Amino acid sequence: MNLCVCIKQVPDIQAPFRIVEGRLQFDVERHVLNAYDASAVEGALQLVEQHGGTVEVVAIGPASVAETIRKALAMGAARGYHIEADASGWDSATVATVLAAFFQERRYDAIFTGKQAQDTDAGLTGTMLAELLGLPYVSNAVGLAYEADRLVVTRQGDAGREIIELTLPGLVTISNDMNDPRIPSIRGIMQARRKPIERLTLSDLGLTPEQLRPRTHVTGYRPIPPRTPGRKLEGEPAEVVRELVRLLREEARVL
Amino acid sequence: MNTYLCHILIQQDRPTRSSLEVLTRTRELARRDGTRLAACVLHPEAERFVEALKPYGIDQIYLVQHPVLSQHLNAPVLAALEAVFQAAQPTLMAFPSTEATKDVLGALAARVGAAVLPDVAAFDTGASVTATRPVMAARVLADAEASEYPVLVSIRAGTYNAQPDETPTEPEIVQVPFTFDPDTLRATLREVLTGTTGQVDLSEADVIVAAGRGVRDEAGKQLVETLARELGAAVGASRAAIEAGLFPASLQIGQTGKVVSPTLYIAVGISGAIQHVAGMAGSKVIVAINKDPDAPIFNIATYGIVGDLYQILPLLIEEIRRIKAGS
Ligand SMILES: Cc1cc2nc3c(=O)[nH]c(=O)nc-3n(C[C@H](O)[C@H](O)[C@H](O)COP(=O)(O)OP(=O)(O)OC[C@H]3O[C@@H](n4cnc5c(N)ncnc54)[C@H](O)[C@@H]3O)c2cc1C
Ligand SMILES: Nc1ncnc2c1ncn2[C@@H]1O[C@H](COP(=O)(O)O)[C@@H](O)[C@H]1O
Repeated sequence: MNLCVCIKQVPDIQAPFRIVEGRLQFDVERHVLNAYDASAVEGALQLVEQHGGTVEVVAIGPASVAETIRKALAMGAARGYHIEADASGWDSATVATVLAAFFQERRYDAIFTGKQAQDTDAGLTGTMLAELLGLPYVSNAVGLAYEADRLVVTRQGDAGREIIELTLPGLVTISNDMNDPRIPSIRGIMQARRKPIERLTLSDLGLTPEQLRPRTHVTGYRPIPPRTPGRKLEGEPAEVVRELVRLLREEARVL
Repeated sequence: MNTYLCHILIQQDRPTRSSLEVLTRTRELARRDGTRLAACVLHPEAERFVEALKPYGIDQIYLVQHPVLSQHLNAPVLAALEAVFQAAQPTLMAFPSTEATKDVLGALAARVGAAVLPDVAAFDTGASVTATRPVMAARVLADAEASEYPVLVSIRAGTYNAQPDETPTEPEIVQVPFTFDPDTLRATLREVLTGTTGQVDLSEADVIVAAGRGVRDEAGKQLVETLARELGAAVGASRAAIEAGLFPASLQIGQTGKVVSPTLYIAVGISGAIQHVAGMAGSKVIVAINKDPDAPIFNIATYGIVGDLYQILPLLIEEIRRIKAGS
C-alpha cells in the first residue's frame, strides 16, 4: 500500500506572541509539524508496518519547511516532496489546488491529510482536495484498518462513531485523537538525513498565478476579549458550596 | 433578487437549535440587504419539518427527500447540497458548524466554486462577506474576508440567538429533484456506534457539566452524571477524561472536539489547557472545581472552588436538591 501524507509546518501555537498593528508577531519563531498531520503520519506508518508499502509526505512552504519534512522522515516516512512557495497569504482552497496538481501526476492508494491545521483551524483542505481529485473520502478519522483492498475508517461524527468502508484510491482526514505520534529515535533521525527530499516549484506543477489567487483573506488579528477575572472560593467545603450556589442564583442568575 | 440560504440540520426529529441560530442571523442580514431568505432540509421525510420552520420568516424552503439521507454519509449529502445550491443559486449559504457540516463544507465549496469561511464566531455581508474566526486554538481572533460571491459560511453554535420572526410567512415549498444510486457509493457506512443515546446534545445544551482527568473512576463519573441530572445539564469531557475510557468521544469539548457556549459550564477536574478552553471559552458563566489553586482554568472561571471534587460534588448535589425542593 502506497500512502502519501500532506503535512503542514505551523507556528508553535502555545508560544507567546504579540499583535502589532493587526499582525501576529511571535517572540521566538518556532515551527512544528501540525499535530493533526503528525497523527496522520503515525496512522500511515502503522498501516504499512502491518500490511507493507511505503509512506511519503508532501509539504508546501518556504525553505524552512524542509525541517518539518525531515521530522516526518525521522518518524519513518520514506521520501519527502517539498513544493517551494511562499504560502503565507494562501487559504485552504489554494493549498488544495496546489496539492491537486501534485497528485494529478502521482498514484497513491490513499492520501492522508490532517483534520485541520493547528494555526488556521480551517479544516477544509482535505475534503477540497478529495473533491478536486474526484476521490471518495472520510473526514475526522479516529481509527484505521485495512481489510480486503479497502480501508475501514472510524470517524467521529456528531453523535457517535461511524464505521465507513472506503474503496481505494481514497482520501482520509485524520484527527489527533487517533493515536499518539511516535517520537523519532536517534536512529530514525540519522536515517532521515539520507532520505530523499524532492523539490518542486509551482511552475513544475503547471500552476498559473490566477489558479493561486486565494478567495479569502485574513485582514487582521485581534486579541480575544479577556474574560473578567472571577472569584476563587476557598475554605470549608460545605460553606464554599453554599456560597457558590448563592452566587449562581443571585449574582449570575443562571440557576 | 439575491438569495441567502441556510442549511437546516435535523436531529432528534427537529431542526437543531444551532440551525435556527444561523437562520435567525441570516434573516436579519436578508432583511437589511433586501434579499430572499431560503432554507433547505435534507431528510427522507423533509416535508415534516416545514411546520417547525414557518415561524422563522423564510421565503422558500428547498426540500431534498430521499431514503439515502436517513444517515449522514458525505457523498449523497454533497450531491443533495449541490442540487439545492444549483436550484437556489444563493450568493450566501450558511451552515451550523457541526461535524456533519465539516465533513462536506470544503468539498462543496470546491464543487460549486464558492469561497468559504469556516467555523466563524460572527459574520456580516456587504461588498464582501466578512467574518471573525477564533484561530490557533482560539488564542486570537482573525478578521477574514471573502473577495467574491458566492460564499459558504459555517457558524459556531451559540453565536447568535434563535428567534422566530415577528411576522410569520407562508414559505414557498420547492421539492428539489434528486436521484442517488447507492450502488455508486465508494464509501459506505458499515455501522454507527452511538455512545450517548438519550443524552442532551452538547451543542444544544444550556448547562454543561464537564469532566476532566481529575474524575478518575466510576464513582467520580457518577457524581458528574448525578450533578448533570439535577441541573438538567449535558455531560461533556476533556480529552484526558475520554482517553481514560470513562466517557464516549462524542462528548469531547475543545479544539479537536466540540465548541460549546452554554449559559453555565461547570469544569470538574479540568486543568484548562488551551486546546480544551478553545471549545468552551464562549460560555457565559464558568465554574471551575479543581484541587490545584494554580490550575489555569481559574484564570477564566467566573467562580472557582479550590477543592477535591470527590468532596465538593456530593455537597453541591445536595445543595442543589435542597434548593429545588424549597422552590
Ligand atoms: C492538537 C491538539 C488538540 C487537542 N484537542 C483537545 C480537545 O478538543 N479537548 C480537550 O479537552 N483536550 C484537547 N487536547 C489535549 C489538551 O492539551 C489537554 O491535554 C487536555 O485538555 C487535558 O485534560 P484535563 O484538563 O482533563 O487533564 P489534566 O491537564 O491532567 O488536568 C487534570 C486536572 O484535574 C485536577 N484534579 C485532579 N484530581 C482532582 C480532584 N480529586 N479534585 C479536583 N481536581 C482534581 C488537577 O489539579 C488538574 O488540574 C488537544 C491537544 C492537542 C495537541
Ligand atoms: N502548506 C501545506 N502543505 C501541505 N499540506 C497542507 C498545507 N496546509 C494544509 N495542509 C493539509 O491540509 C490539512 C488541513 O488544513 P486546513 O484546511 O488549513 O485546516 C492539514 O492538516 C494538512 O494535512
